[in-house]
Amino acid sequence: MNAESSVRGEVHELSYAESIRDAMDIALGSDERVVLMGEDIGVYGGAFQVTGSLVHKYGEDRVMDTPISELGGAGVAVGAALTGLRPIFEFQFSDFSTLAMEQIVNQAAKLRYMLGGAVSVPLVMRLPSGSGTGAAAQHSQSLEAWYGHVPGLKVAQPSTPRDAKGLLLAALEDPDPVLIFEHKLLYKMKGPVPSGYYTTPIGKAAVRREGTDLTIAANSIMALKAEEAAKTLADEGIDAEVIDLRTVRPIDRETVLASVRKTGRLLCVYEGVKTLGVGAEVSAMVAESDAFDFLDGPIVRLGGAECPIPYNPKLEEAVVPQVPAIIRAARDLANGAI
Amino acid sequence: MPVEVIFPKVDMDMERGRIATWHVKPGERVSKSDPLFDIETDKAAMEVESPAEGFLHHVLAKEGSEVAIGVAVAWIYAEGEDVGDVPEGRPTPADAPPGREPDRDETQWQRPAQATSPLDAGNRRATPAARALAAQRGIDLKNIGGSGPRGRVQAKDVIANLQAPEPPLDTRSLPGWRPERGDLAVVRSGSGAHAPILMFHGLAADGPSLEALDPLLPQDREVLKMELPSHGRSPRRRVAGFADLARQVRVRFDDLALDNVHIVGHSLGGALALALADTRPRQVRSVTLISPAGLGPEFGGQILRGIIRAGSAASLGPWLRQLTSDPATITEDYVRAAMAARGDAAMRAAQADMACTLFPDDTQGFDVSGTLNRLDCPARIIWGRDDKVVPWRHALRAPGKVALHLLEGVGHLPHVERLEEVASILSDNVCRSSRSRAAN
Repeated sequence: MNAESSVRGEVHELSYAESIRDAMDIALGSDERVVLMGEDIGVYGGAFQVTGSLVHKYGEDRVMDTPISELGGAGVAVGAALTGLRPIFEFQFSDFSTLAMEQIVNQAAKLRYMLGGAVSVPLVMRLPSGSGTGAAAQHSQSLEAWYGHVPGLKVAQPSTPRDAKGLLLAALEDPDPVLIFEHKLLYKMKGPVPSGYYTTPIGKAAVRREGTDLTIAANSIMALKAEEAAKTLADEGIDAEVIDLRTVRPIDRETVLASVRKTGRLLCVYEGVKTLGVGAEVSAMVAESDAFDFLDGPIVRLGGAECPIPYNPKLEEAVVPQVPAIIRAARDLANGAI
Repeated sequence: MPVEVIFPKVDMDMERGRIATWHVKPGERVSKSDPLFDIETDKAAMEVESPAEGFLHHVLAKEGSEVAIGVAVAWIYAEGEDVGDVPEGRPTPADAPPGREPDRDETQWQRPAQATSPLDAGNRRATPAARALAAQRGIDLKNIGGSGPRGRVQAKDVIANLQAPEPPLDTRSLPGWRPERGDLAVVRSGSGAHAPILMFHGLAADGPSLEALDPLLPQDREVLKMELPSHGRSPRRRVAGFADLARQVRVRFDDLALDNVHIVGHSLGGALALALADTRPRQVRSVTLISPAGLGPEFGGQILRGIIRAGSAASLGPWLRQLTSDPATITEDYVRAAMAARGDAAMRAAQADMACTLFPDDTQGFDVSGTLNRLDCPARIIWGRDDKVVPWRHALRAPGKVALHLLEGVGHLPHVERLEEVASILSDNVCRSSRSRAAN
């Protein structure tokens, strides 16, 4: 089933961070194998206050502060997953996951394969990512394409509080490592979140807005910017379909292709650096498929600029796609001007 | 050393052509400047002369085969010279098989060399959706204007074309037709010892449409009128394009075995007269073109569409009156007689198909203007200044040696609107050309 499963109970307005905490609370409360690991996630509550006071509820055996060593912490998490626990490992910034790449790419992603299927690594990693917080070049990157390139990993990017909870619970059900990239600018964003347990399928995109004139395929916060752009475009008579990819590995090929077959035009919007990014994969996916014959204009990508994220807030804003740029590109594409 | 017979370049933009006919068989003797073979390109057909005297050997390109320019297609050996293997040194047709592009570095994307104009065949800039839609509907993208950047055809352009109020030639109201066997009809009149006159009528006309000229022409010779496929008494035939039509005419012309002939053509017949003069220069004494087609792209297709479609005198009359400068020239009797000759609906359908092929989207899809420069016999062009079908300004592409007679207050039918004047110019061209050559 591709739909959200087992949604019960009432719907509350929660922030993205609260929603993730709610998911971890449910998991910790219902499955004793679940443990949280990460730097400063205990008493401090996490670099972005996502774990909050969970340590007081579940104790330091379940909510563990790890030393300032991403490689060490990730190695412990991989080992714990291998030996029967369901760890949720938090990086302070996704940028720091580069320190743990050996454990993620060479161990977590490979062990099931290397051991002939005898084991799996049911590990969930949470990676706060993205720009817009003034945290500069080493704390603002969008590295989802790096990990999306590795068979054996799954990579999700929730853009709403509802999906943040559903994807985290789905990741915990998954027998293999799942990396969840959480956009830092979304943590305080509120939205409706069902109470209780439910999952959002990994590998299934969401059509946020149906339209006929062009398809905007976006990930993470860019899906929200694309929705906002679509409202302005609608006033101009341009009916954009907005697809929130939600997962970049596995990527939901069918939803994108079906949309392009309908609209004939594709705009990819993503915050990661444009070259070799998620939008490159989406573009190629369409170009290689039967949907190619439905294209009535070039495929257009809006991605991050080919540079580190600057500290200067104006420059920081300028190097990633913003709503006005999405509107311009969509308008030109829909009008056949490019 | 045997002499190479090289496949020549006869048009500026020509890259390959087709050998239509070999006039000499392998092993046969040939004199220098004898006609050796006919070639056809997209735009023209012409005769190639033998480069040397001797015996023809190693004919590497068969009739009908496509050949790249510059390759050796045969060799001519002097009398007594040993005929061994095919001499080496020059590329032959086998080195560049038809339809195969020269190898290129596949790692380097290259812009097609000829993609200079969006209208170049095959290189039309179009979106995948437009291509798919056009293929599905059997529409040629070449005929569609692109509204996208740099003329790119988009799906909406194809759709607009589908919904165009006037399709290139609406054949829906016309019945189907079947091709017939038989030779093209030739109507003969008069007699005499001098070189005969051979006339070609235009699209949707027939041999008798030129009959009024007969009594006013020199009475010392025969006058022949060849009727085009699907016209007059000629069999209904499919025509693949202008080159194919010219070939059908040439085949019938060769049957007639006319050594010396003065050729006359009106409109489409004018273009065919030029094509024939290019391939049979030895037989042709003079060329007289009346409002000829094939010298430029513009074409008053709407008028021809109306004529071809008309199934009654009431619908034919208004269109025929567009042909002349003064509508009153076309009387009710003329219209009734024309309709009587066009009573066969299957013939009209066949003509509609031919018009579609030759004049896609009201455009002259062929160009024989290069032929004018190669003519080595006297040539005259007669044109009405009020021609609404083929604009007289196309005549300005003719070189200086071709005489131009522009008639004031005349439309597309000078031979109807100014019968005596046209007959006089034509007779003059025939008689002067005869005097200039001892052969007649």
